Amino acid sequence: MQGGSTGIGYGLKYQARCISDVKADTDHTSFLAATLSLKEENEVHLIRLSSDGNELICEGLFSHPNEIWDLASCPFDQRIFSTVFSSGESYGAAVWQIPELYGQLNSPQLERIASLDGHDSKIRSVLWWPTGRHDKLISIDEQNLLLWSLDTSKKTAQVQTKESAGMLHYLSGGAWDPHDVNAVAITCDSSIQFWDLRSMTKTNSIEHAHVRNLDYDMKKKYTLVTADDEFGIHIWDTRMLNFPFLELPGHAHWTWTVKCNPEIEGLILSAGTDSAVNLWLASPPNGDHLTSESLESPTRQVDPLLNSYTDYEDSVYGLAWSSRQPWIFASLSYDGRVVVESVKSHLPRK
Amino acid sequence: MGSDDVPLDDKAKRMRDLLSSFYSPDPSSASMPVNNTSSRFATLDTINTPSFDADQYMNLLIQKSNLEGLLQKHVEMAAEIKNLDTDLQMLVYENYNKFISATDTIKRMNNNIVGMEANMEQLLDKIISVQSRSDGVNTSLFEKREHIEKLHRTRNLLRKVQFIYDLPTRLGKCIRSEAYADAVRFYIGAMPIFKAYGDSSFQDCKRASEEAVGIITKNLQGKVFSDSESIQARAEAVMLLKQLNFPVENLKVKLFEKLEQFLVDLHLESKEIAHVSATLDGPNNHGNVTDPASSAAHESSIHEFAEAIRAYRVIFPDSEQQLVRLAQDLVNMHFEAVHRHIKKQLQSEDLLEMLRVIWSDVLLMDEVLPEAAISDFSLVAARNAVKEYVASTFSHLLLGITGTIMKVQDRQKVGVEEEYPLQSVLEASKKAVIQGCMNVLLDFRQLLDEKLELSLKLRDLTIDWVQEGFQEFFRKLNERFLFLSGKSNSGSQDLSLTQGVQGEKVLPGLVLLLAQLSLFIEQSAIPRITEEIASSFSSGGARGYEYGPAFIPAVICRTFRAAGEKCLDHYVRLRTQKISVLLRKRFTTPNWVKHKEPREVHMFVDLLLQEFEAIRGEVKQILPPELSRKHHRTDSNGSTTSSRSNPLRDDRMNRSNTQRARSQLLETHLAKLFKQKVEIFTKIEFTQESVVTTILKLCLKSLQEFVRLQTFNRRGFQQIQLDIEFLRTTLKDTSEDEAATDFLLDEVVVAAAERCLDPVPLDQPILDKLIQVKVAKTSEQNLNP
Repeated sequence: MQGGSTGIGYGLKYQARCISDVKADTDHTSFLAATLSLKEENEVHLIRLSSDGNELICEGLFSHPNEIWDLASCPFDQRIFSTVFSSGESYGAAVWQIPELYGQLNSPQLERIASLDGHDSKIRSVLWWPTGRHDKLISIDEQNLLLWSLDTSKKTAQVQTKESAGMLHYLSGGAWDPHDVNAVAITCDSSIQFWDLRSMTKTNSIEHAHVRNLDYDMKKKYTLVTADDEFGIHIWDTRMLNFPFLELPGHAHWTWTVKCNPEIEGLILSAGTDSAVNLWLASPPNGDHLTSESLESPTRQVDPLLNSYTDYEDSVYGLAWSSRQPWIFASLSYDGRVVVESVKSHLPRK
Repeated sequence: MGSDDVPLDDKAKRMRDLLSSFYSPDPSSASMPVNNTSSRFATLDTINTPSFDADQYMNLLIQKSNLEGLLQKHVEMAAEIKNLDTDLQMLVYENYNKFISATDTIKRMNNNIVGMEANMEQLLDKIISVQSRSDGVNTSLFEKREHIEKLHRTRNLLRKVQFIYDLPTRLGKCIRSEAYADAVRFYIGAMPIFKAYGDSSFQDCKRASEEAVGIITKNLQGKVFSDSESIQARAEAVMLLKQLNFPVENLKVKLFEKLEQFLVDLHLESKEIAHVSATLDGPNNHGNVTDPASSAAHESSIHEFAEAIRAYRVIFPDSEQQLVRLAQDLVNMHFEAVHRHIKKQLQSEDLLEMLRVIWSDVLLMDEVLPEAAISDFSLVAARNAVKEYVASTFSHLLLGITGTIMKVQDRQKVGVEEEYPLQSVLEASKKAVIQGCMNVLLDFRQLLDEKLELSLKLRDLTIDWVQEGFQEFFRKLNERFLFLSGKSNSGSQDLSLTQGVQGEKVLPGLVLLLAQLSLFIEQSAIPRITEEIASSFSSGGARGYEYGPAFIPAVICRTFRAAGEKCLDHYVRLRTQKISVLLRKRFTTPNWVKHKEPREVHMFVDLLLQEFEAIRGEVKQILPPELSRKHHRTDSNGSTTSSRSNPLRDDRMNRSNTQRARSQLLETHLAKLFKQKVEIFTKIEFTQESVVTTILKLCLKSLQEFVRLQTFNRRGFQQIQLDIEFLRTTLKDTSEDEAATDFLLDEVVVAAAERCLDPVPLDQPILDKLIQVKVAKTSEQNLNP
């Protein structure tokens, strides 16, 4: 299953790790990608898929002061996004606005709406309220979870609550539950933690080490997909945390990130350090899925792997589904190459 | 004249027609004369018809005939008329004569009847007198007849009384001559009298005869219970007892109890056999389970039992139900014993021996009691027993193999140091699998070779069971493998068996062992077993063709190949995971931005090398070495390596500022573009080299990824450079895929340079010197451990 060169490519100037779908842009399929360069001037690219779907157009190119480790687009305003950045020892996170008249300016400056200051350890990621216009933001650093209240018109951000997860946990990222806006799942060194935002307390946890990334299934409640270094992808039912209800083999090396399709239940993309993006269809488990692993099953079991896109030169860290055209996704490999592909031809016919 | 005639004729004719139409019922006949008038010849014949017209006739006659003819006609007619007159006269005379004779007869009858009345009256008188006479006779004889009849009744009564008085002696006589049947008949004959007058006139007599009957009853009972009597005699005795209103049911129950007791005794005996076989079932002596003495005893007792049943059956004809139950109990008891034995491990020989005994018993019973269909019943039971036996054999086999495999873990626990613990266990497990399967097959073959009717009937089924059993066995074995390797977390079934394992962490060595064992099963064990099955277990037909054979080696092979690959993958993952932890600690702990100048190769390299050494140690024990592929690969990839790595290692040494480092980055990218893509993630093969190389490659890739997540200062970068250079010198021998290893090592350095704020590499002399120091130190350590 060679990926071939079906995708549409776009090159960033430097190495890069993060890409995000611009959810609020309902007229175009667009993505934001940001570079990760220690020494050069970093950039944020606004990329748009042309209407005929054959070309990626750079709609905007904005310089950004530091190398960007995380990027998230605002779900209700296409011009707003957040970044997590660092340079050497310093680190920070901010919410930016793309300037109104950037088309005319030569090198337009991003407008910093708010700085998410107040972190005392390395910031890992910023999460937006899952859908719709809402002023809540979450930022996660290695030890703390901060809930912000953001006012985009006044351009201020205030810490609402700040809670420490404990010194030794080393938080690394998280995902906001789209079905329950009070719940957030956070990855840390040795476990996955579930937090309730109302009380800002840890409600539950899965002892499962080295989870790189996780994502909630948009369509199916209680379904959480996690990616970890050695053992691939696990799919959990958040009501039964003892065992994952499904395991997918993942990648030849680490599975770096997983993204659930916003429209199709069980359709999962994963990107890995083996320079590949895999498309999975996690078939809904039937009741006796554990016992059905009989002798006959290898022949009958459907391979959950729909396709493997392998036409990458380096590890793939960035992955984003388009929410406007949910069969399209963008991937970003470390060498700064954005590839947009359609999964339509690999979906099982219904 | 003619003209006058015609109108007149017409008129007359019309009148006549009108008249004849009036009188005649048929109009057609009325028209006839019209025709007649036109034909003049036919009309002379109408004289005899009803429509005779005398005038017309005359006219016709006159017109047609001449005078002579007329005269002649006249004469003829006159003669005819005369004839007719005479005839008429004759008829009148005759009728008159008859009338006269009738009158005469009536007159004569009248005369005869006059005298009869008087005769009749005379007769009546006579009859009345006869009747009165006969009545007289009747009344005079009546009294005498009654007397005679009374006398007759008395005589009969007397005879009966005589009989009753004689009864005791007669009964005694019968008892003496053992003519119990007569005695009973007499007694029953006397019964009504005893019933009526027993309390008054015949008291003594009754008592005496009852005593006699009591003796008879006792004798009869004795007869029934005595085995020496002939069965007919016993049956007769029971019949007689029944006639005597003796409670036969009691007798029946008693006899039945006796039979049951018999069965229990038999049961005890079979227990004894079981006991004997259990003691003989020791490791040394599998041979004869039932020693001849006890088997002979069993045989004789079962014969006895059969005889007793036969007798009972004849004696109590409608007792089949009970007997059938009894016979089934016997079979059940037998099979319970078999079941108990199967629970402990038992050889097919022993099973066969037991089946043989059972079958002989069954045949006996069948002869005695065909209604019980005891052979069918026991066939069903034997089916279950054989099935259970097959299943238990397989489960024992599974346990045995698992036990052998688990020795790895046990040894680890106890701490026994062996040179090649994994290897020995692998060999042992291989042997356990193949030998175990062969033994099982041999065992089952014995079962098939037996010529016993019972096992012949079960032959096809047995074959199917064996095939199914193997299929199931391998499925379970596969499950067990996956479970042991920690891949499947569905510990719902067999919890009790594996609880001990679950708590502990899975040993990577065990996983590797399972991988190789799976491969062995796929490649050697299954073909052998398939062959064996094909040669002796092929003709199972009871399953039906649409299902195909129960044992499908292809499926099992596929499963085990998949399991082997899974285990191998899992092994690699387990190992890389361990190394990942090491690397993670190494890279997340220090502050790389404030790193100090490198003084020596970092300790983690040693740990890393140790890990590789351990892996190599394990792999060497279990996996085969690769066959002469190394040279080929190194040659083909050598050129790319050098072209790729040279600019890095050499050129970079001279550059110091960041600008140059940047252009160098570009260079590496360019080099990457033109270089042949190095395959890092290749399929793992079951060879030492492949596994070691795969793990090495994965670890180096992890190293690269960890480096990419950090930011380094110059010193940090130099430390990485030093560590990697040292690794490069030491890993040369480890990896089979030198090109890929080299490439990955370069990648790590490149990544570190990219993530470095000030990428100035160490000078080559310093690098060399530091490496030299480290090499010397390690070799020293190796010399003096």
